[in-house]
Amino acid sequence: MKAFFMRRPGGALLAVLLLVLTLFASAPPVRAADHAHTGSTAADQAERQQERPGNNAPVWRAVRSGEAHFTTVRGPEAGVLIQAEGNSWRHLRNGPITVYGGALLIAMASAIALFWLVKGTMKLHGARTGRTMKRFSGFERFVHWGTALSFLLLAVTGVAILFGKHVLAPILGSDFLALLLTAGKLIHNYVGPVFGVFLLLMILTFLRDNVWQACDAIWIRRAGGLLDGNHVPSSRFNFGEKTWFWLGVTFLGLAVAISGLVMDFPNYGWTRGEMQIANIVHAVGAIVLLALSFGHIYMGTVGVEGAYESMKTGYVDETWAKEHHAIWYEDVKAGKSGHP
Amino acid sequence: MGRMKFLCDAERCIECNGCVTACKNEHEVPWGVNRRRVVTMNDGVPGERSISVACMHCSDAPCMAVCPTNCFYKTEEGVVLHDKDQCIGCGYCFYACPFGAPQFPNGPAAFGARGKMDKCTFCAGGPEETGSQAEYEKYGSNRLAQGKLPLCAEMCSTKALLAGDANVVADIFRERVLRRGGGTDAWGWQTAYGGGEQKREQKREREGQK
Repeated sequence: MKAFFMRRPGGALLAVLLLVLTLFASAPPVRAADHAHTGSTAADQAERQQERPGNNAPVWRAVRSGEAHFTTVRGPEAGVLIQAEGNSWRHLRNGPITVYGGALLIAMASAIALFWLVKGTMKLHGARTGRTMKRFSGFERFVHWGTALSFLLLAVTGVAILFGKHVLAPILGSDFLALLLTAGKLIHNYVGPVFGVFLLLMILTFLRDNVWQACDAIWIRRAGGLLDGNHVPSSRFNFGEKTWFWLGVTFLGLAVAISGLVMDFPNYGWTRGEMQIANIVHAVGAIVLLALSFGHIYMGTVGVEGAYESMKTGYVDETWAKEHHAIWYEDVKAGKSGHP
Repeated sequence: MGRMKFLCDAERCIECNGCVTACKNEHEVPWGVNRRRVVTMNDGVPGERSISVACMHCSDAPCMAVCPTNCFYKTEEGVVLHDKDQCIGCGYCFYACPFGAPQFPNGPAAFGARGKMDKCTFCAGGPEETGSQAEYEKYGSNRLAQGKLPLCAEMCSTKALLAGDANVVADIFRERVLRRGGGTDAWGWQTAYGGGEQKREQKREREGQK
């Protein structure tokens, strides 16, 4: 070990550093006196009482530290006198999350509406052949619609919980809002875990076809053909869909589901601090996920002709397959599974 | 009428839990709910101090600010009350409160089924008709309407816990501090009534009086 240090060019520096540290360590009177002014233990208070009777500064420091003390009352964190984080959480939630979150949702919805008004629905270029191809299995559609329905229920109730008192209360009155939110909170808390199960099934079901491939590079270079209107050949899912899968469904979906479960099951003894963090993650994740979902819902309904029927019936017209997912079309025609 | 406040004198509290018991008995609060609790620091060793804590009826109440249904309201005396008919039991007031005042009859239950929040009312009842059975069942007795102060403070054997008009309470405490020459801290007042919000509120009041 010694030889190792000697060989190193920084050995001298390290030795100096050690020497300085040793000097600091060998000055206990200074450190002890310092400790007496900032300590919050029982001994500190006992000592302080002798020096200056009626001075409770060490006790107040213990109070502000937010740690639990003795109490006969049973309850979550009953021994904590003051938790200061609650106010930070309140200002984050009522401030940036409500304001910027609300602005993001309105901006996203407006941008999509404007895009639709300008560009209109993306129609098929060629005529329909009348021959159909199977795009989604029954199980895949069950998983999709299960996730979609639970997501919509959670989105509506969740948005009402955050924005209801600013938007709905002035219109409907606070009594009616309370009635709505009583049902809304029940729905949110019980549908939440259902969404979590569907989310896991969704990730497992669609994972294989959402792995990135070489052809995605072309899609990225041409921005998905969104602006020039030309389709980019892609396999079963294009890069846009893959991004929705990885960023939206997997990353944000899991973040929202896990943070939601923390708040939904306080019986596992989460502290207020943990539930505050979960709430912030949940709110930010859910708002971004909802904003992204506007894009997905637009593309799956009025945005692209034939997209909705593919998830409704499970089948697409061959023209649609050729235009939107040329590589997938070729694979299926060549007798392959259609999976990359 | 003045601004109502609680003050607990750490030099006097002996951790008898009389206030906790008085509160439970007066308001017939459900099992598992304690509107008031006594917390002891350095228990059983020299330097021990105890504090009785409940809702402090903050000037800028965090519970009020985060409630999704706006079920909280403030009386003319500055008492923070809430309407249980509008409470959805989301627990946000519990996240936000610095003092851990909001309580739930079902406790931290699975699926967040906490039940309707319950907390100290400063013995001022709730939004139901004053003195009615409905008010008593939901919020406990309304002593303020009868011209009485909160029972916890009235019962306090060492008069550590003071409740009443802020100016009177502060004067009593100031006199004690002068006499004993120490123990100057009015516990929780900075958190509950301090800060910029309170200064703005006081400024508004002064300007309103002119």
